[in-house]
Amino acid sequence: MAKEVFYSGCAAAAYGAKFSRVEVISSYPIRPYTGIMMELSKLVANGDLDAEFVHGEGEHAQVSIAYGASAAGARAYTGSSGVGVTYAMECYSPAAGGRLPCQMAIADRALDPPGDFGSEHTDVMSARDQGWIMGWAETPQEVFDNTIMYYRIGEDPRVMLPQFCCQDGYFVSHIPGKVILPDQKAVDEYLPPYNNPHPLDPTRPVSHGPQIFPDQGPAIDLQRAQAFLDTPKVIAEAVKDFNKQFGRKYSPFVEEYMTDDADIAFFIMGGHARTARFAVNHLRKKGVKAGMVKLRFVRPWPTEAVAEALSKFKAVGTIETSTSYGGAMRGGNLIHEVRASLYDLPKRPAVTSFMAGLGGEVVTLNEFYEMAKILTEAAKSGKVKKGVYWLGFEPD
Amino acid sequence: MANPVKTQNLEHIKGIRKVPQEEYYVPGHRTCQGCGPALVYKLVSKATGPNSIFLGPTGCMYVANTSYLCSPWAYPWMHTQITNGGAVASGIEAAYQVLIRKGKYKGELPNIVVMAGDGGSIDIGLQAMSGMLYRGHDALFIMYDNESYANTGIQTSPATPYGANTTFTPPGKKIPEGKVLFPKDPPQMVIGSHPAVHYVATASVAYPVDLINKVRKALNYKGPAFLHLHAPCPKGWLFDAKKTVEIAKLAIQTGMWVNYEWEKGEYTYQHTPKEYKPVKEYMKLQKRFDHLTDAHIAKMQAFIDAKLKAPGKPIAVPVQGPREMA
Repeated sequence: MAKEVFYSGCAAAAYGAKFSRVEVISSYPIRPYTGIMMELSKLVANGDLDAEFVHGEGEHAQVSIAYGASAAGARAYTGSSGVGVTYAMECYSPAAGGRLPCQMAIADRALDPPGDFGSEHTDVMSARDQGWIMGWAETPQEVFDNTIMYYRIGEDPRVMLPQFCCQDGYFVSHIPGKVILPDQKAVDEYLPPYNNPHPLDPTRPVSHGPQIFPDQGPAIDLQRAQAFLDTPKVIAEAVKDFNKQFGRKYSPFVEEYMTDDADIAFFIMGGHARTARFAVNHLRKKGVKAGMVKLRFVRPWPTEAVAEALSKFKAVGTIETSTSYGGAMRGGNLIHEVRASLYDLPKRPAVTSFMAGLGGEVVTLNEFYEMAKILTEAAKSGKVKKGVYWLGFEPD
Repeated sequence: MANPVKTQNLEHIKGIRKVPQEEYYVPGHRTCQGCGPALVYKLVSKATGPNSIFLGPTGCMYVANTSYLCSPWAYPWMHTQITNGGAVASGIEAAYQVLIRKGKYKGELPNIVVMAGDGGSIDIGLQAMSGMLYRGHDALFIMYDNESYANTGIQTSPATPYGANTTFTPPGKKIPEGKVLFPKDPPQMVIGSHPAVHYVATASVAYPVDLINKVRKALNYKGPAFLHLHAPCPKGWLFDAKKTVEIAKLAIQTGMWVNYEWEKGEYTYQHTPKEYKPVKEYMKLQKRFDHLTDAHIAKMQAFIDAKLKAPGKPIAVPVQGPREMA
């Protein structure tokens, strides 16, 4: 029987892994994701989950253990935060290039210096080009659901890619919310056992990862690129089936909130979307035609879905939550991809970006109202004054 | 969790005639003439047999063996980063434990062998190696020691001997001896500091039967083991390619290499000469030591003399660190 519980994002991720029947888990402590592994270690210690729990000697080892297990044919789970995510950087491409669909839970955290426990998306956004599926959850329920959905997507024979299953540190990872735990049987129906077609198995020997000549490289790169072209179809199926099996209402790529007649929109991902919803409600009461578009996947980037969703607005503000120092728009990462997604449209909204949600900063309602003012002005004039605003942190 | 699977009992071999005829490391690779590490691979593969999975951290035995999407192994093999051989092996071993426990894999637990060079073992790979040995995975970590980063063109590693000319330690007017530092002692980094490890041994391509038996003994332990294997490198050490085995023997005769086992706290020594030859006999055949003066060679001799008082044990050596010398 499905039951309702009250879980933090960390606990939700751990139970998502449990319901996915993960077989090898590799851990290393770093805040704030640590809670996921604390929960899983209890489940293993009590015999509630039959898995090998391996204490990695660092994040680099964690990912290595996970993709090694995946290469041998086991469903593998790991996770990290902040500098732990970047410490493991070397191992992301071997996992993706090896087409080893392990999963890494991320409860994001600002990078050093200075030491900062707060949420920021820069850690794992730095790994967005390593060939992993990647997206953020807004609530513990979405964390739980994404954990299961990501395995289904990543392990699909048309995909075979590892996944970063991300949530905001503290805002989601440490604030409990309602989570509906489904029947294990229903999950088993939804998520078939992991099947590696070419495992490291002495009864049918294969070599994984031999050297190549430089001109053999592009063809392999193209295969990896093609996998990402095929993935959206698989995501759409997986989300549709998930909604059907568990009675949810997820959009596959972007969720729209109060957008039907909106002039301006916040483009956002992760936990801050929750505040954005309230901001939109309040703005509507004041007569501002505001809406929100929440991104569910950063990789593969849903170009068409983003273009379709944003083309109807006059002005869009991307809430960056990550940094791209010296980038084209002098601010965050999202605006680059948003503007690129809109480039071929005959009519494009004005797009600016807001550096907000950095270093664990709460993006307040007042900040959303401030953004709405800037966007309303842009909607009227048809263009943005600046490509990036550091709200509250720069002279007027 | 306990492994319910019986590990295989690999037979002790009584002599060279009993070495398996079957080859699991087959021709088709691009290793150099007289390559010591290739000889190690051949012998280790004969020892393990086909129910094995080998991990190859980046190094000569990755690059020279797997050119153009080919590979010379008749068992499953996987490349690992030079950093993470021990960690990937840990993941594979953990996977087999759970897959066998759940009945998803029907065979016996394979021999899981990391075949790492000196860099992939005791330098950049040290953390992953130590992690695997510490956690008690049923896997064997082999360090084939050719005493340099040979794949990238012979750069110094922590296994490179004092005085060696490498492309990162060229002898010059200011630094006449080339490499100033003395090497790490790899088995010492494992023995006594990893409670789950009961067996550590050194072996040499000069004594193939001994090498094969040590591999088998290591694999018969239900848990991790570490082997340090001497693998002379004609290209890096600059000696005649037909002298690989001769050089390896001379290393033992001069005390530059000692074959021994550490098993549950007990040391036993193999192939100890009645009388050690001067290290100069070994060094003079290798052009990497050509530039050294008698004073430099005396320093090497003093180091070896001290080590030979208790090979494989933690003893003081007459070495001054570079800051002490300044």
